[in-house]
This record gives sequence, structure tokens and C-alpha cells, in this order.
Amino acid sequence: MTPASPTDTAGTSPTGTERAGTEAAGNAPVGSVPVGAFPADGHRPDVGAARVGAVGGGRTGATAGDGPTAVLPSGHAAVDRLEELFGDAADPANPVGRAAVLRADDRADMLAAGEDLLTGFGLGAHFVPEDLGGRLARLDDLIRVMRAVYRRDPCLGLGHGAGSFMAAVNVWTAGSAAQRQRLARRLLTGGRAACAYHELDHGNDFTRAGLTALPGPDGRLRLDGRKEVVANLRRAETMVLFARTDPAHGSRSHSQLLLDTADLPATAVRHLDRFPTVGMRGVQLGGIEFTDCPVPDDSVVGRPGQGVETALRSFQLTRIALPGMTIGLLDTALRTAVRGARGRTLYGGPAADLPLSRSILTETFADLLLADTFTTVAARAAHTAPAQAGVYASAVKAFVPTVLIGAVQRLSELLGSQFYLRAGEQPLFQKLLRDVQPSAFGHASRISCQSALLPQLPLTARRGWRSATADPLPADTFRPGRPLPPLSFADLTVSAAGRDPLARSLVLGTEAAAPDDPLAESGRAWCARLAALAADASALPPTLIGPDAPPYAFGLTARWTGVLAASACLNTWWSRNGEAVDPAVTLALLHRLGTHLDHHRDPLPPHLAEPLHTELLRRFDAGLTFDLDRRPTGA
Amino acid sequence: MSDLTTQTPAPTAAELVDWLRDRVAAQTGRPAEEIATDVPLNDYGLDSVYVFGLCAEIEDRYGIEVEPTVMWDNTSLAPLAEALLPLIAAR
Repeated sequence: MTPASPTDTAGTSPTGTERAGTEAAGNAPVGSVPVGAFPADGHRPDVGAARVGAVGGGRTGATAGDGPTAVLPSGHAAVDRLEELFGDAADPANPVGRAAVLRADDRADMLAAGEDLLTGFGLGAHFVPEDLGGRLARLDDLIRVMRAVYRRDPCLGLGHGAGSFMAAVNVWTAGSAAQRQRLARRLLTGGRAACAYHELDHGNDFTRAGLTALPGPDGRLRLDGRKEVVANLRRAETMVLFARTDPAHGSRSHSQLLLDTADLPATAVRHLDRFPTVGMRGVQLGGIEFTDCPVPDDSVVGRPGQGVETALRSFQLTRIALPGMTIGLLDTALRTAVRGARGRTLYGGPAADLPLSRSILTETFADLLLADTFTTVAARAAHTAPAQAGVYASAVKAFVPTVLIGAVQRLSELLGSQFYLRAGEQPLFQKLLRDVQPSAFGHASRISCQSALLPQLPLTARRGWRSATADPLPADTFRPGRPLPPLSFADLTVSAAGRDPLARSLVLGTEAAAPDDPLAESGRAWCARLAALAADASALPPTLIGPDAPPYAFGLTARWTGVLAASACLNTWWSRNGEAVDPAVTLALLHRLGTHLDHHRDPLPPHLAEPLHTELLRRFDAGLTFDLDRRPTGA
Repeated sequence: MSDLTTQTPAPTAAELVDWLRDRVAAQTGRPAEEIATDVPLNDYGLDSVYVFGLCAEIEDRYGIEVEPTVMWDNTSLAPLAEALLPLIAAR
């Protein structure tokens, strides 16, 4: 059952009742805004001001006063604060600027000044729910904050932030009150948690994990085995360890253990050498080997044997959040490419003016917005339809990283040899091209996410998509400025029970669209694709839903993902609250979605590309981010 | 494949076990008589993923909602049928 939203006045209509004015009140247009293409840059009085920051050195540690006890802003305000702290990336004297980031990368080190800055900012509090004293209230806000970090240095994002969040969601979902408080204290005081799941022999197939935690002669659990390629394993004060707690086969044989490194006898623990990597070179990927290592009695998170269930439920949040954070990497890659293409003269003019360059830049911008729209809707759906979040999380993690990697790759063609030279004109780019790669397989690969969707597909086709009375998502899911119900870890479920309110929103939104709605025809086309998918997926036999399923079956999950992304774009349009948005933007996103799904290979037609190209350059010149938020950035 | 609208009357425990056994046999490609009621289904190759498929079939036939975790907690046919009967009775 989709939770009813008190503000979803229309009940079954995703378009709801338009409340023009309630949001627009805070959206006074400021500065020169291109007419029509995008709504006015809202929410902030400082648009048009110079780039944020421009602070020189000496910043490190200067923010320590903002301790976890201070009342600090969340969401947009936190992003603006973080941008201010990071300052101007172009300033060579900035200890967290571009030059410093590149130097740390060359050394395969984390950027120490950046870690100090984030500790001073109190980043850890953003991973801790509010009822435990932290600032995690909304998943989309957490993504916003982390995206600001990824814009500066993806290694900082993954190596200082995301890893702790991945570990923490397990404990927030299944831990005891004492465990939750213990981990909250750790993160609120600037500590780290490592998420120790991975074993090289088993990859994403964590139900085969071999490290054991079995009772010794005295009844205490003892660890034997190893974990490999885990961020911060050596320097994290706390770890969430995924271990086999029952030798039997099945899905009740594993558990998470919440362990403080200091509680483990040093003689029973051996750290492995760091694993060097192609990208994200600064991230400290470690390994650990336990030999007959006793653990404290209260270490198991939740009931023994609950581990697979806890992982499947809690990682829904991180599967949405990680791709959402990584959009910050593409944001900086796009900015770097525009800078490079504008500064480079080819065939007698700036490279950026060549038609092919314009096309690549514009389509990358559209890809970024497409990724953000889908991710944002999924993040908000985790609040409005937590029981279905698992499907949307797998869909986002299967689709978005592929788009991001492809986009950065395309930008590298634009820069030509300049992307390849480590000391080229835009030296950051080669790092971003390397750093984006692990998003393809990190945490959960595209294939493993498709494998998670496949078993849910036949029931969804037979139940969810055929129901004429199923609930859509509440309309506020599609309105990024609107409040959300609290994030409820307890309501995350292993299976979505055949319900798909996002697809339902597509059907109802299309039905409710006015005849002259410029997106009505697109809506009908995507509804037809959904109907065709429902017919094909209903016929999928239950024997073809496992990892050994044929490519055809995996292809069905890609079609499902496409329908969900389309619904996110269309309903964001239909729920726009009367804002003056150019439908060309939504049409461009859907055009790009069609490219990604191999429906066609056409470039964006000029009437869709031109408004986006204008907006891209406007944001570049104004120092605004390229995502839905359009915040000032010094990246 | 059962239709969504099927109104299957509440089965006895034995009927339910027989029906479940046939479904597992069909999914794993084994003769039904080989599938014992007290051996974990995992031993017959019914992996955690295929549990989703079996859940869907149970839901379609009996009009109830079954979280896959019910099957993780009740790994063989006899306890699974015992766990499902109250759900079917309460529908």
C-alpha cells in the first residue's frame, strides 16, 4: 500500500491539485534568466553574486566550531555552506582546490585538508538520523550534500563519506538501540565506519560470503576469514562486518557484526596490503584477516541470521544515494570540458562552437539532468513508498552509473588528447575519467541490480501493472521543493510485493494530461511500452528469474528501468506546480533516455538542444551547478 | 500460471504441501516424489532468488501476500505449509 500523503489531495491523480504560488512565493526570479527553458533560479538571494568562496589558504580546521552539537542547516543551506568552505577550486593556493586534489591523487593519498574540512563541517552528522542526534532527515538532502563533495574530489566523497553511510544504514535498519547510539556517537564525533562485506572470491554475491563468526568453546563468537577491497578498513574506528553465522545453506545464515577495532585482540587481526586501483586512487582500500578472533557479546546486529534481509533492505538507500552523489563527478567533468572546449582554438574558432562539440556538451547536460531526475524521484520515493524502494533502488543503480560513465567518456572525446595528458590543459579530467569507473561495479553492479529486479518482474507484471485500482506515488514525490514524510527504515522490505506505484503514476499522469499538454504524446508512447513489457514479462516462467537467466530476461529489466525513468521525468513535468518550465527540457531528457535504451541513435533535434545549450553556458558563466538544484559552486 | 483472479478455496495442510511440492518440482525440474517435506528446498536447488518465483505463485493462487522471508524462515515444505495456512485462512 502506498502511504497516503495528506497533501496528495487528488488521491489517484499524480498531477494532483496544482498549488501554484505556494512554492513560487520563495522563487523570486533573480538575475538574467533565460525565458522559458528553466524555472527561475530560486531559493537563494545570492544568485548572480560572484562564485562562492575565493577564500585562500588557512581554512583547514577553521570550522571546528561547527561541532555536532551546533544547530546546523540541512539540505540546500548545508550545500551552500560546504561550497563556501571548499572555496574556489581554481585558486592554486586553495588547500582543497583542484591543484591540491591532483597532487593527492598523484600520491594515491586522501586529500588531508579535505578530510579536515569535512570533519570540521560535521559531515558524519549527515549520515546519522535526527532521532539519534544527527542531521539525516531526507535522503535527497544527503545526496545534495555528498554531491557537493563529489564535485570537488570523488575520492573524498567515497573515502570520507559514502563508506561510513553504507556501513551505517545496516545499523539504522536492524541494530539495537544501544548499537544505534554507539555508531551515532562515533559518526557525530568525526569517526569513520568501514562497510566490510566484500570478499574477492564472491564479488556482489554476498550470500556466499565465507568469513565466519561461529561460537567458540566458551560460547563467544569467533571470527575466521578475510575481507578484501574495503574502503577505510585500516583506519576506521568501527566496522560493520558481514559474516556467516550459520554453516547451513540458505538466506538465514549470515549476520552483520558491529565492531570497534579497539575491542579486537591485535594478535587475532592481520591487515592486508592496500589494494592499488586505477581510479579513486586516494581511497584507502584495505583487507583484513581474522584468525580465531573473539568478539564482544553484543556485536550481532539484529537477530542472528537476519543479515541477508538487513542488507537487502538497508542497501536500497545506498543504491539510490551513491549514483545520486556521483552526479557531482559528472557536474565537474562537464564544467571542465566546457572550460577546455571554450579555451581551445580549432579550425579557426573555439572548439566549443563546433556543431559536434555543442551536441556532445548539450547531450551530456541532458544526461546529467536525466540521471538527477530519476535519482531524485527514487530518493523521494524511499520516503513516500518505502515498501517499493527496493525496485527503484535497483533500477537507479542499474541505469544511472552507466549513463554517467558514458557521459564522461563522451566528454573525453571532446577534449581529445588533452584528457589523456596528466599535465594537460585540464588535468583534472583524466582523474575524473578514472574515478567514475568504479561506479559501474562498486556496491552493486549493473548486472547484480538487474538480477535483483528480475525475480520481482513477473509478479509486478501480473499484479501491479494490470491493476486498475493501484495507487500512484503521492504527487509530492515529484516536487523536489516539497516536504516529505520521515525516512522509515522499518518500512523497507525485501520484496515490493508486485506493486509499482511509479509505473502507475505514468499511466494515471498520461490519462490526466490535457489534450494540448506537450508531453501527452510521450506519455502515451511510454504507456504503450509499459503495456508491451507487461505482456512479455507476464509470460516469463519462474525458472528464468535467476542469475542464470538468458539475456532476453535481463533485457526485460532494462525495459522496466526505462519505463521508470520515463515516469520520473514525465511526472516531474506534470507535477511542476505551474512553474514556467519549457517542455523542451523534459522532451530532451526523454529523447536521451531513448538513446540509452537503444530506441534510436539520433542527436537531440535543434529545437530541444538549443534551449539546453543556452542554459548550459549560462550556468557555466554564472558558476551554477548543472543539476536540478542550480546552486552556486566554486568547483 | 495461475490467473490473478483465481479464487482458490482454503486448502488442507496436505493439499497445500502437494501443491507446493508440484511447484518446486516444476521449478527445479525434479520428479515431485523426490521432494521430501522435511529437507531444505535449497538442497533441491531452489535458491534464494527462485523463492521470489515461488512466492509469486503462492500469491497468485491463494490471494495472499508472502514476503520471501517467510520462506527463508521455513526452509522445507512442511513448516512452510504450516506458516502459510494461517495467512490463507486470514485472507
